[in-house]
Amino acid sequence: MTTDFEYSSFELMAVAGARELKDGEIVGVGLGLPVISSFLAKRTHAPNATILFELGVVDPEPLTVAVHGLSDPRIWYRAKIHTSFADMLGTVLHKGLIDVGFLGALEVDAYGNLNTTLLGDPKGKFRRFTGSGGGNDIASCARRTVVTIRHEARKLNEAVSFITSPGYLHGGDEREKSGLMGAPSRVITDKAIFDFDPQSKRMRLKSIHPNTTLEDVLDNMSFKPIIPDNLPVTEPPTAEQVRLIREEIDPENAYAGS
Amino acid sequence: MSKVSTLADAVASISSESHVALSGFATARCTMAFAHEVIRQGVKKLTVSQCVGAMDADILVGAGAVDRIVYGGGSRGRTGQHHCINRAIEQRTLATEEFSSLSMTFRYLAGSLGLPFIPIRSLNGSDILKDLEEKTPPLVARLQDPFTGEEWLVLKPLIPDVAVIQVQVADEEGNAWILGPRWDNEEQVKASKRTIVITEQLVSTETIRRHPERTLVHGFRVSHVVHLPFSAHPSSVYGVYDFDHEHIDLFAKASKTPEGLKEYLDKYVYGVKDHWEYLEKVGGMKTLDELRADPILGY
Repeated sequence: MTTDFEYSSFELMAVAGARELKDGEIVGVGLGLPVISSFLAKRTHAPNATILFELGVVDPEPLTVAVHGLSDPRIWYRAKIHTSFADMLGTVLHKGLIDVGFLGALEVDAYGNLNTTLLGDPKGKFRRFTGSGGGNDIASCARRTVVTIRHEARKLNEAVSFITSPGYLHGGDEREKSGLMGAPSRVITDKAIFDFDPQSKRMRLKSIHPNTTLEDVLDNMSFKPIIPDNLPVTEPPTAEQVRLIREEIDPENAYAGS
Repeated sequence: MSKVSTLADAVASISSESHVALSGFATARCTMAFAHEVIRQGVKKLTVSQCVGAMDADILVGAGAVDRIVYGGGSRGRTGQHHCINRAIEQRTLATEEFSSLSMTFRYLAGSLGLPFIPIRSLNGSDILKDLEEKTPPLVARLQDPFTGEEWLVLKPLIPDVAVIQVQVADEEGNAWILGPRWDNEEQVKASKRTIVITEQLVSTETIRRHPERTLVHGFRVSHVVHLPFSAHPSSVYGVYDFDHEHIDLFAKASKTPEGLKEYLDKYVYGVKDHWEYLEKVGGMKTLDELRADPILGY
């Protein structure tokens, strides 16, 4: 599949993320690429989606997405509601109203468990990173969780070194029995899109991106996903989607490297 | 009754080993002037709690004022990790009780309602929970829903000795507005035994009475009101001033090493006698005026 215009792997990921949102859905968004995907979805096929930031911001229309983080007031601009964690993560998420939780991660494993806490041996030498914030809550309660991550062998492991945010745990029905709601739905990398096998809950290739080979996808991950007999190529972005990202959503190119 | 006091007097009311809930979130409404005064007065062995780690907790940990942090993780976003907190965790010099944003909020909420525990779905299946299950005395437990028979994870309430909350507007009794998103601040105040309000603007009680629906911090919960402009610098206060990008960068670089942090503390905390001198040192009126928020944008 080819297009007559150039696009970056970041733009492809952002568009793939946007396609996971349906019109009218409520989406809990983490910073970074999920912000671009959500705003893109709202400007295209999902104008009635509701975007939530965990700290208490609903449906903002920022003038810029080149921000420091969720605590940067630039990303709160023109919100319909300014409220609290108790509202966003409590009365919306914990009550079961969030359709899609959109998260980035440091490391993801074969069953969709996410690590944002530490690298190394938690009992021995390790490097500490961000921890959960609202990530664990979103992965525990959102109806579907969509994860975006760079496709690198050190980030895609058989088992994460620390489960910050639960996926299917060790697979099978373990998640169902653990008191959690919802489930991981997609993992989107810069080489492929994954879903999960309905029985084993192991990560399964759903499509590979244009200009990538199956060999390249597998060589750059540290576990073997399930490979279906029929493996389509990811639908490339449209010219209009790429234009919206470049000219309207992220003209400062703030997220191209993330 | 007026509770207006100096920052020094408000900090002097906090004894070592107290549990202090701080209002910061990453780089927004961090209790920076308060943290600096705690460090200058040598208050030690604090327990600090907040939903998402912020610059106020980070500098307090870096200065050795904190023995224990109760929080849901966090970073400065794209300006990097909280180096002081992370270094202390890696070197095991800081006791941690690590949760998530919602489980922290629920713990404050249970504290605010006077409930003995609160059920939650979050944390189940995670290594965050595994770590918490090893703590004594216990912070988490399991019990059966008496109505459905379903098993639930339950959390212990959090009841800080004092909440320290950075606000835009307060009167002398401590009735205060928090403008913009307020993350865990309302639950922190209501869970705590008392509250110290640090306000950008001190207004008359007539102004508070004119808009009673805006009063988020109840005056009767407040012990001290400190009126101190730019007291969250270099973090932002929505509608009042933006964060100081350059100074946050400077702190980010300095705090990467213990030596750099010491230099920073010597210059900006120990090297000034109070907040006014600090404001001069970070650029004075010229810098602060550039940070003033646009009334429509809020930053």
